[in-house]
Amino acid sequence: MNDIMFFDAQCQIGVPMLGGDRGGRSAAELLAEMDRNGVDKALVAHGNTEAAGAVFANADLLELIQADDAAGRLTGVWTILPAQCGELPPPAELFARMAANRIGALNLFPVAHRWQACRLTVGRLLDAAAERRVPVILSPPVMDGAWRGVYDFLREFPAATVIVAKLGLWGSDRNIRPLLENFPGCYVELSEYWVPEGIADLARRYGADRLLYASGYPRFGHGSTMLSIRHSGLPLEQVRQIAGQNLERLLARAQLA
Amino acid sequence: MNRSVWEQPGSLAEAFWKNGAADIPIYDMHGHMGSHNAIFFARCEAPEMVAHMRRLGVRRLVFSHHYSLMGSFRNARVHEITARFPDILRMYVSINPHQPDFIAEDLAQYDRLAPLAIGFKFLPDYHKVKVTDPRYEAALNFASARRLPILVHTWGGSAFNGADVMLEAATRYPQATFFMGHSFSGDWDGAKRVAEACPNVYFELTSLPGQHTVIERLCADIGSHRLLFGTDMPWFDEYQHVGGVLSADISEDDKHNILYRNVEKLLGKDW
Ligand SMILES: [Zn+2]
Repeated sequence: MNDIMFFDAQCQIGVPMLGGDRGGRSAAELLAEMDRNGVDKALVAHGNTEAAGAVFANADLLELIQADDAAGRLTGVWTILPAQCGELPPPAELFARMAANRIGALNLFPVAHRWQACRLTVGRLLDAAAERRVPVILSPPVMDGAWRGVYDFLREFPAATVIVAKLGLWGSDRNIRPLLENFPGCYVELSEYWVPEGIADLARRYGADRLLYASGYPRFGHGSTMLSIRHSGLPLEQVRQIAGQNLERLLARAQLA
Repeated sequence: MNRSVWEQPGSLAEAFWKNGAADIPIYDMHGHMGSHNAIFFARCEAPEMVAHMRRLGVRRLVFSHHYSLMGSFRNARVHEITARFPDILRMYVSINPHQPDFIAEDLAQYDRLAPLAIGFKFLPDYHKVKVTDPRYEAALNFASARRLPILVHTWGGSAFNGADVMLEAATRYPQATFFMGHSFSGDWDGAKRVAEACPNVYFELTSLPGQHTVIERLCADIGSHRLLFGTDMPWFDEYQHVGGVLSADISEDDKHNILYRNVEKLLGKDW
């Protein structure tokens, strides 16, 4: 948008194994929807990671982005696995590859990929990510025990920079407020946070710098959360932070290389 | 870069983007009130809800109270709350099929609850009773005799309020007007089937605005002239839901139909 820069913190591209997707099979489809709605940039993950696995999804995401994103509006998300099986390079090399390929954040699918998200498996990587302030995206639907898994992870890695994503459409304050209160490195994306006046309430309580615009594309569209942020009732300066500046700052401060 | 949906000159989207409101009324046909067992609502009482809705020009919210649907709060008390904000609130009389004495009392006093009460609200998935069960008959017969609307919670695949059972109910009671809450969420083929078979049915959109391509599909399959706007207020933010309608890839006429025209055709402007 001309007046406010929007940087989408959570969307997906790629072809889902079971079909039934509502778009986003290519980066071009995503970029067209971003243009139609006036979204400038996006942090994008692979939408079929659970089914096809991290090794395929991490490589395919790069191909999809590189095929269509000539203007460099998309930043990718890579999926992590336990260190012991050597499926991903050691932390320093992983971060260098991320920097070289415009990958800005990490995510994980421990239930689908059958591993335990804890210090024993990813401790070395997550400690390094915390130190370098590389964001990790955590979402209740993919964690063992849903919110319990998100809580366990944050207790295990309290210094991590974490974006809690896909909060669920049933108002999630009972689950997100304790996290925002206890973990200063915890941020939430708003694609499924539809609580009336809730964005302003969260910003006043925990700071506008903790909240991130996201679309949730292709399950959700880009426009609805744009309007609820635009008219959250917060001062324009805070609206701009939530719309895009917070995410831009989070990605810029990460020391990948 | 082409102009975005929010920058189309003279459009509803442009007005809402710039001013947070437009020169149209909004009729929110699906609301609730009161706290909830599973969700923290900071703004679930009438004054806070009304303040939120006034920001973007909601002309009417028709609601059923959580405590009447899930607890034993009587509809007469909901009427007292409604009467405190008569310029914006209207109510549905909540029907709990497990409480036949409550239903009998509400039907007997319906003329005192109207005109602030405009019809009934059924919540079959939660009450675990099929809409075609005899326990709903008294309310259905009453609505049918008086041609009242009934907002029914519907959901794709549900044995209590899915497309098959709602098709049966709407066919059996052609004089009643059914508002299919959530438009059979997920079962878009079922929604189309009900739309084709039952002229006395409208499709209400709560939880769908913002879901990519869903409103587009309902407009194409059913037609925007049969869609009604709703938010489950205080569940969902009015700006989020209005934003989902305005940013959908549908015509300007479709947006006008959804937000107010269909309701005004059905119920008039003065109710
Ligand atoms: Zn409802």
